[in-house]
Amino acid sequence: MGQKKNKPVSRRDFIKTAGTAALAVGVGAHIIVPGRASAQQKTLKILQWNHFVPGYDKWFHNTYIKEWGEKNNTKVIVDNIGLAGLNSRAAAEVSAQKGHDLFLFLWPAPVYEDQVIDHREIYEECERKYGKAIDLAIRSTYNPKTKKYYGFSDSYVPDPINYRKDLWDDVGMFPDTWDDIRVGGGKIKKKHGIPVGIGLASEIDTNMALRAIMYSFGSSVHDAESKPVLKSENTLEAIKFVKALHKEAMTDEVFTWDASSNNRFMLSGKGSLALNAISITRTGENKKIPVTDNIWLAKAAKGPVRRIGLEHVMDVYVIWKFAENIEGAKQFLIDYVGNFRSGFLASEFYNFPCFPKTVPDFKTLISKDSKAKPPDKYKVLEDVLDWATNVGYPGYANAAIDEVFSTWVISTMFAQAAAGKMTPKDALNQADKEVRRIFKKWRDRGKI
Amino acid sequence: MAIVEARNIRKYFGEVRAVDGVNLATREGEFLVLLGPSGCGKTTLLRMIAGLEKPSAGEIVIGAQVVNSLPPRARKIAMVFQSYALYPHMRVFNNIAFPLKAQGVPKKARKEKVEWAAAMFGIERLLDRKPRELSGGERQRVALARALVREPDVFLLDEPLSNLDAKLRTAARYELQQFQKRIGTTTIYVTHDQVEAMGLGDRIAVMNEGKLRQMGMPQEVYDEPADTFVASFLGSPPMNMVERNNDIVGFRPEHLLPTEVHGTSEHLVTFQFHLSRVEHLGAGRLLYGLLGAPFADQKVIANLASNVMIVFQPGMSYTFAVKTANLKFFDRATGLRIEPRPL
Amino acid sequence: MTVLRSTVLGARLIRLRDDEHWLGRLMLAPAIAYIALLIGFPFFLALYYSVSDITVGGRTMSYVGLRNFLAIVQNPTFIMALKNTLTFAFVSQILVLILANVLAQALMKDFRGKWVVRFLILLPWVAPISLGSIGWLWMFDSIYSVINWTLQAVGILDHNTRIMWLGKPALAMASVITVHVWRLLPLATVILIAGLSSVPQDIHDAAAVDGAGFWRHHFQITIPLVAPIMTVAVLFGFVFAFTDMIVIYVLTRGGPYNSTQVLASLAFFTGIDGGDLAEGAAISLFLFPLLVAAAFAFLHLARRVEVT
Repeated sequence: MGQKKNKPVSRRDFIKTAGTAALAVGVGAHIIVPGRASAQQKTLKILQWNHFVPGYDKWFHNTYIKEWGEKNNTKVIVDNIGLAGLNSRAAAEVSAQKGHDLFLFLWPAPVYEDQVIDHREIYEECERKYGKAIDLAIRSTYNPKTKKYYGFSDSYVPDPINYRKDLWDDVGMFPDTWDDIRVGGGKIKKKHGIPVGIGLASEIDTNMALRAIMYSFGSSVHDAESKPVLKSENTLEAIKFVKALHKEAMTDEVFTWDASSNNRFMLSGKGSLALNAISITRTGENKKIPVTDNIWLAKAAKGPVRRIGLEHVMDVYVIWKFAENIEGAKQFLIDYVGNFRSGFLASEFYNFPCFPKTVPDFKTLISKDSKAKPPDKYKVLEDVLDWATNVGYPGYANAAIDEVFSTWVISTMFAQAAAGKMTPKDALNQADKEVRRIFKKWRDRGKI
Repeated sequence: MAIVEARNIRKYFGEVRAVDGVNLATREGEFLVLLGPSGCGKTTLLRMIAGLEKPSAGEIVIGAQVVNSLPPRARKIAMVFQSYALYPHMRVFNNIAFPLKAQGVPKKARKEKVEWAAAMFGIERLLDRKPRELSGGERQRVALARALVREPDVFLLDEPLSNLDAKLRTAARYELQQFQKRIGTTTIYVTHDQVEAMGLGDRIAVMNEGKLRQMGMPQEVYDEPADTFVASFLGSPPMNMVERNNDIVGFRPEHLLPTEVHGTSEHLVTFQFHLSRVEHLGAGRLLYGLLGAPFADQKVIANLASNVMIVFQPGMSYTFAVKTANLKFFDRATGLRIEPRPL
Repeated sequence: MTVLRSTVLGARLIRLRDDEHWLGRLMLAPAIAYIALLIGFPFFLALYYSVSDITVGGRTMSYVGLRNFLAIVQNPTFIMALKNTLTFAFVSQILVLILANVLAQALMKDFRGKWVVRFLILLPWVAPISLGSIGWLWMFDSIYSVINWTLQAVGILDHNTRIMWLGKPALAMASVITVHVWRLLPLATVILIAGLSSVPQDIHDAAAVDGAGFWRHHFQITIPLVAPIMTVAVLFGFVFAFTDMIVIYVLTRGGPYNSTQVLASLAFFTGIDGGDLAEGAAISLFLFPLLVAAAFAFLHLARRVEVT
């Protein structure tokens, strides 16, 4: 009786019981594009998030799926939901064995491997048509153990450094290395009272930024063979660095953050640096916030071992095994990749292509943006593939990596040390124990 | 012990005048009954004396002190409610001990007092029970014991017998009276039952529509009612009221007797009595009928004791009479008592 | 033949209509179906999951006994979440109880504008909790906190100091408890008002005449008399506090560093986001025996102090 409000299990079961009728509950915009009425007309149901850039959804709904639907004699239905609801929705659809033909995750979803088709064919067809996919896409959708592609990644979102050029110029520094960030950030904080903002909370941006620091310090959760290797001198150094960074250049607000906090942080003028997608500057440009012109982008910072950053969002489409229109879904993805240049423009450079050749004039486009001041603000992203990697680096994303990510093991480790609740060593030991436990669980299940 | 006084007390609930200027004072150690029909303001008056309601105007005086601004607990009163208002979650012992606790009486003294009060009402064996395990009569005694235990200056009783069955009520009435005489505490007792009022009260205060109609000893109020309301409210069956010119003539049913039953030496007024119905009550008979001229067709009742052996036939006419001294005269317009006048 | 059959059927229907036994069952059926489908079924499925190795992406599962339970008790995060859950539940319930008492007492009195106050107090209950929590999220925001702004405006905080409501373990716990109390207070208050109005006025009058002051009156008369119904409010509150995670999910997601992580939120992160449905079920069911015991104890207590 006490458990009836419990989310994880009962929602799933409720839907399982009530069947597909319930799937419609909670779906926001429900857009149906009527094609020509015809007896043979097929239906393709897509579920994806409310895109950060509203213009993208407008293009997708009003232009792209309309044209595609007419061309393929298919009625395309798109449901949009908030990003926080994606996992619950996926769990519900799997439980009910009914749902959408295409489901867009914003991160790799290896745990659903048994529930999805092998997406190999789509990659092969796309590579044949549009050239090679980037490594980042493969690493976020491929399980080397089972040799199965458990998703298809059309695009990703870079996670560059956003910094206040005026403030950094004022102290005569540039955030090129993590040590620059610590020292320069400290100087700015001392001089202007404006801190650096690398999250130390249970939220997705924190998860990304801290992994970027780990990787650049030569540390990682697992290695290329999916063995847990968190416990290392490199990780300890990374923890100590974050502790120092917090002490010298940040304030306690980073413990309070949610996924949108660093946007507010930068746009309110109360931050000197953050790691985020280009959403900060895009919001500033669209809302004409004065400080925006002083927020510049920089490639990922260099650590003691390498210069590396993460993708901010990894778009991963999956086609359920139980989808009703598998062929249509495959075709949709292949065609979508072929039209990616329009998507890239509609998303205002938010979605970057996983098949680079689909946007041949990529470098020209981003070096001359109509909204940005200066217009080449986004040019720094042109070599993003040289420094962006996936969650799960240097190996592949997998179910254990996913659980470590979702249960905030890494952010808790860093935060506990930075807050002085634990020594860096103890925090590392605790996290390592947890990581090993999670890896063992999934290894026992034969998934890694 | 104390004298309780109400000085020009008024209580308005919005437009409703529950108590409308009452002046009254008890005597030391007196058992005063507030009598009236429901809604006459008697309970409201009692609650104002207790401090549970604030008067809209006027003063309440207890023991020569104006107590209007004092809370109930500072008025040295005890009250017994119609529902008894026993604390349902406490054992009888704790119910009785509660007022003592509130006064800060030490534990040992408390126990002695509770036992004394329980002994007064013969409920020693009930002390460990919860109120819901008691009969109506037992609850009433517990309520009385709780009121007694703090030895108040004034007892206020709000229809404490109305929840008892008829047989028990008579016994309880007697006990209550004996108890009050023994401890001699000024007591104000509210009831709508005139039998109770007659039996219990040293004096009766009759109220109607928020006003005090008459105050006096039971017999006085019964025999010499101040107005038609008091006359008709006391007595069962009520006083016969017949109209004559601008007056109302009243006489009690037990005074309307066949002429031959009256002694010859008295001044009598005779009536023609057309008998319509006879009710046998065991202890006597009630005769319903109409008067003849000059009170043509006015309904009256005669109450005959069982020692009157005459046989009466419905439908027949008889000659009945009332002693002149037993006729009461009232003004037809105001209802107030007026001087006797010849018929 | 058909005519005959239909009359027989009609007669049967009439008999059924007059048969309280069967009619009663028929009328109860929807409620029982509702409980079975929406409460019973998920609950037993959760029980089943908790002793299996199912994942969120799995259709097959095998029995693993108590392995999930053994695994979670060795997990420091789980132990922390367990402690947090107890703190969260007990502190919030004590506060709810005290405040609901004060509010209910106040609302029993007649005063001008009472309905406005009643309406305002009931508002948190009718507003969707997720929206309410988002409102609080803004009040606790690190930059735009209206609480900090107010404190600065009245000079309690200097202009450069900002309290990080959700950034320190104790403050964050206090914040989520505050929101939870804010949310549950209306229900508890309404329940208590119902309890208070069921106490006869005579009893209050008797206590007043018997000399009880405010505190004695409140603690020796009023509280014991509304205790049974108060127990119901507390039981509801506990079940909510133990099983609900919306407030925590919106405000902290268990942070900072798991200091507000409770069992319900941890179960969600492990079971749905993390994909290990079996372990999530085990986490969420861990307190179930305790809750059942508490429910029994409370209901027993309620019956014992019941008054005529």
